[in-house]
Amino acid sequence: MTVPALEVRDLVKHYVAKRSVFGRTLTTVKAVDGVSFAILPGETLALVGESGCGKSTVGRLVMRLLEPTSGQVFLGGTDVTSMSESQIRPYRRNVQIIFQDPFSSLNPRMTVGQILAEPLMLHAIVPPNRRRERVAELLERVGLRPEQAARYPHEFSGGQRQRIVIARALAVEPKVIVCDEPVSALDVSIRAQILNLLKDLQGRLGLSYIFISHDLSVVKHIAHRVAVMYLGRIVETGSADAVFSDPRHPYSRALLSAIPVASPIAQRDRRLLEGDVPSPLHPPPGCHLHTRCPYAQPICSVERPLLEGGDHPAACHFWPTLPPGGDLLPNEGVVDPRLERLFAAFEPVAP
Amino acid sequence: MTEPLLTVEDLRVSFLAQDGRVNRAVDGVSFTVERHKTLGIVGESGCGKSVTSLAIMGLLPKGAADVSGSVRFDRRDLLEEPERALQDLRGDRLAMIFQEPMTSLNPSYTVGDQITEVILRHRGVSRKDAQARAVDMLRRVRIPTPQARFHDYPHKLSGGMRQRVMIAMALALDPQLLMADEPTTALDVTIQAQILGLMRQLKEESGTAIVLITHDLGVVAEVCDEVAVMYAGQLVERAPVEQLFAFPQHPYTVGLLGSLPRLDARRVRLAAIEGAVPNMSEQVVGCRFQGRCPFRVERCAEMPPLAEVDRGHLSRCWRAPLQRLVA
Repeated sequence: MTVPALEVRDLVKHYVAKRSVFGRTLTTVKAVDGVSFAILPGETLALVGESGCGKSTVGRLVMRLLEPTSGQVFLGGTDVTSMSESQIRPYRRNVQIIFQDPFSSLNPRMTVGQILAEPLMLHAIVPPNRRRERVAELLERVGLRPEQAARYPHEFSGGQRQRIVIARALAVEPKVIVCDEPVSALDVSIRAQILNLLKDLQGRLGLSYIFISHDLSVVKHIAHRVAVMYLGRIVETGSADAVFSDPRHPYSRALLSAIPVASPIAQRDRRLLEGDVPSPLHPPPGCHLHTRCPYAQPICSVERPLLEGGDHPAACHFWPTLPPGGDLLPNEGVVDPRLERLFAAFEPVAP
Repeated sequence: MTEPLLTVEDLRVSFLAQDGRVNRAVDGVSFTVERHKTLGIVGESGCGKSVTSLAIMGLLPKGAADVSGSVRFDRRDLLEEPERALQDLRGDRLAMIFQEPMTSLNPSYTVGDQITEVILRHRGVSRKDAQARAVDMLRRVRIPTPQARFHDYPHKLSGGMRQRVMIAMALALDPQLLMADEPTTALDVTIQAQILGLMRQLKEESGTAIVLITHDLGVVAEVCDEVAVMYAGQLVERAPVEQLFAFPQHPYTVGLLGSLPRLDARRVRLAAIEGAVPNMSEQVVGCRFQGRCPFRVERCAEMPPLAEVDRGHLSRCWRAPLQRLVA
């Protein structure tokens, strides 16, 4: 049995939104409301959902950038949940994070070389006389040139900065990288470069990724497994193939239905949701989705459904009885083979 | 043949930077918009699409930009019209919605009052009639309990709701042309789907011509009849939407399409356009895409014209039609 690179059990994060005059808690935001998953080495788990679902909070909880209200975090089989800062320090090498905004992730007053050398120093990865060499290696690994170490972040484009951020994450030789919307702020043509890079690095270094995103087409490209989140809870999880070809939860179906596809002639069946996402301050009782769900029954507003269904579970009282969800993705677009050959002219040769 | 609703000819917009260099943000853009049709203008950041829409509407900060060319709407050149005349047109015959609904709505007034104001500004009707029309507009954009929502302040509404209010305000007077600059980019994907569905329905109902500016090719495929692709301040391709997606005729469009992770097909590695957009303050000789183009040849050192490659399909590339490259 392989030990998961990362595991969380019943992770909960509550924020106090309102207190009474006497200091008693009146309203809480249950940003993360009982989340569990495990990631194997070399695997990518995508956390998907819209704003307010809690996916970014989960990303920070596994890093212990935020302290969980309850639940456990295991790194390589070790329970790190209650460790003190000095105890956990050696484990921090194992999990790194990449954020969405490449413009605020890098210290503008440090050169790229200094930015990459810093983690090497903090964790004594290599002796001081080998740091320059290692910085050069890191830059090359992400497709940049060693000479660029002398430059400052503002001299680089968004895509290049994201590469520097990735290089910094790699500096400590982590086992898991939390990628929080790593390509959402980048132009479409640059996204492909970064996604290809992340996939290549995973293949070569055996990295695990927690890939947080609202963009399902990006997720489909990079994830092995997917967990769909809504208002702090996982509503469906399974292999990417399973979730995309046979979404079981009404919310997953709505998400897949909603994605615009770059094909004007694509035929698809759409199951959209009515209304807006409820406020996390006042989530609907029972199943959070019941106020928008076309299949809601009385029990849905009373009893919270649990994740059930073997290795592709969904948290819905009725998922086995719902009509099949297979037509939500557009049917296989037939791409002119000559056009495919034109695409191939752009495809970078695998390093 | 009916005259197009909007004719943009050789539009140029330049900005002067502090160091004296000139940034040619829009560098000779020409296109037409037909009545009742939806044109998508697609391109990445810095391509000039937003500046183009602002120039057409006369919304660029005065004195900040050098604008030349012509924008003909209803037999008038909008670039020559005085501000008062433009204000009469805006909201009435020409409307615009922006990406960030929170900064477009006045936080100090109810949404109902803001729509009412637009109606009163352009029509000599009573306040009561204008308010009734405003409620009607809220209903048309599928806002539930519109009478109650009329009295809400913008901060009480979600992003999707606010964007619906923006659309209501824009369509209140049945404009002939609506410019929408990234109207759904800031919205969650399920809300985006609702708004795009709404725009398609309203398009059918009202016949307003729409210019939809976006970086998202999926949105273009869903809503547009025609597509124009911009790169580094120029139009590089224009075609009816099915033709563009079936077989694009400019290498940049090919790269864009190939770089999209697709829901409907499995692709192992994404096509990636290497390099980055050229800096428009610097002189680039010839085709602006040549530095990143896998099909570049010597001739590309000379700027290609936007030429017809197929019926209704224009491309700014010497090597078009691209089928020849892979026959």
